[in-house]
Amino acid sequence: GRTIVPAAPSVRRLAREMQVDIHAVHGTGIAGRISEEDVRRTAGTPSVA
Amino acid sequence: MTKSYDFDVLVIGAGPGGYHAAIRAAQLGLKTACAERESVGGVCLNVGCIPTKALLHAGDIRAEARHASDFGLQLAEQRMDIAKLNGWKDGIVKKLTGGVSGLFKANKVTHLIGNASFVDDHTVQVGDKTYTAASIIIATGSEPARLPGLDVDQQGIVDSTGALVMPDPVPARMLCVGGGVIGFEFAHIYNNMGSQVKVIEFLPTIIPGADADAVKAFQKSMEKQGIKVAVQTKANRAEKKQDGIHVELENVKTGEKSVEVFDRVLVAVGRRPRTDGLNPEKAGVTVTERGFVPADSKQRTNVPHIYSIGDVASNPMLAHKAMKEGLVAAEVIAGKPAEQDAVAIPGVVYTNPELAWVGLTEQEAKDKGYEVKIGNFPFAASGRAMTLQQTDGFVKMVVEKDTDLVLGVHIVGPRASDILSEASLALEMGATATDIALTIHAHPTLGEAMLEGAESAHKQAIHIVNR
Repeated sequence: GRTIVPAAPSVRRLAREMQVDIHAVHGTGIAGRISEEDVRRTAGTPSVA
Repeated sequence: MTKSYDFDVLVIGAGPGGYHAAIRAAQLGLKTACAERESVGGVCLNVGCIPTKALLHAGDIRAEARHASDFGLQLAEQRMDIAKLNGWKDGIVKKLTGGVSGLFKANKVTHLIGNASFVDDHTVQVGDKTYTAASIIIATGSEPARLPGLDVDQQGIVDSTGALVMPDPVPARMLCVGGGVIGFEFAHIYNNMGSQVKVIEFLPTIIPGADADAVKAFQKSMEKQGIKVAVQTKANRAEKKQDGIHVELENVKTGEKSVEVFDRVLVAVGRRPRTDGLNPEKAGVTVTERGFVPADSKQRTNVPHIYSIGDVASNPMLAHKAMKEGLVAAEVIAGKPAEQDAVAIPGVVYTNPELAWVGLTEQEAKDKGYEVKIGNFPFAASGRAMTLQQTDGFVKMVVEKDTDLVLGVHIVGPRASDILSEASLALEMGATATDIALTIHAHPTLGEAMLEGAESAHKQAIHIVNR
């Protein structure tokens, strides 16, 4: 299946710092791109570890 | 009770992966040692990337000089001082390895000289001394794979290390066994130096892993320069006789055999991970049947405080992959949130034209279920390429149809390796073809072919007719 996660390297690192699985983040940008804000929002959601 | 060790980190091997790991570990405040039995810099600096590129440059200048008469520069008959060529190349290597030694000193990395061998999972013997470390990074690299029937003696029959020493006189007839990156780079070097070169490849296609269209254009360009290419061909045995090295070649499709005579034979049929003398089993570290020490995305082996990076860890065996993995291992040890999560690892053949690619080939994208659109811009339509007398090749962009995401970029052309960095960044940033098309690229440059390739994916390139 599709493999590319459209998130900048710095955003992917932020996700690791916040212990967020980047694959579980819903990207709200163009072409589903994941922003820093998307990661922070996901980190604040209790259902996503 | 906290156990104390001689070092926080002990890196085994000072190649690209090893020295990157050691320097980054030291930068992060860890007490670091790096063990190396040969010269620092590893294969890349000593007998790989760097000396090969030096010879490639010299060969390209020679080839370009022949075409200079097109613009009125009449050069006298070319004479190559082979001793000077080898010396110049060796001088670059010496300067760069000296640079790594200097960086070790500046960063306070302890350089241990000698063969390294595990005693237990926290102890390594280097030469006749033993050292303990809290974390250990295995970065022992790889060595050329051998081929039965072709015994490498580094005189007539050479591997990549032997091929780096240009003989005087230059061999009249050269055979490259293996149509991969290394085989073609040496084919290009020797062809430019005046050898009659033939490349044979066992598989139905050369440069495995590269995009089919790019490979086709690349092969055409190599053949135009006089390099003979035979696919689905293997070398069974070689015999040294008075008039040269007699090699039995076999067409693996038809079974047809023939004997051809060469003055130098390069065996470049791949590389294998190097763990001889390391005794990883004494540390409980798993080694695969093929000799790799596998690691997870944080470069950890099955033993949590022992890491593995670079060629010895996995394919592709590329210096820039090893460098990245070295940084990841060091940062993980220092408690940083690092991970080898690269979207794509670029690959380059440094011939002229170069072949360079990153991300998915058109076929790979389709196999993964992507619906794609293709952008294509030929260097024949590039003003800059014309001024350089290098108009062979193109930029091919593989783009996801609906989202416009760039999935892969494949370049055949002048300085493709340098143009490619933009493509690598695009993939890592999740850029769309529109993002690239809307970026102002300096004119006239070769890099503009990226912009036009992206425009072409939208059927809006300016300098070609869009179909």
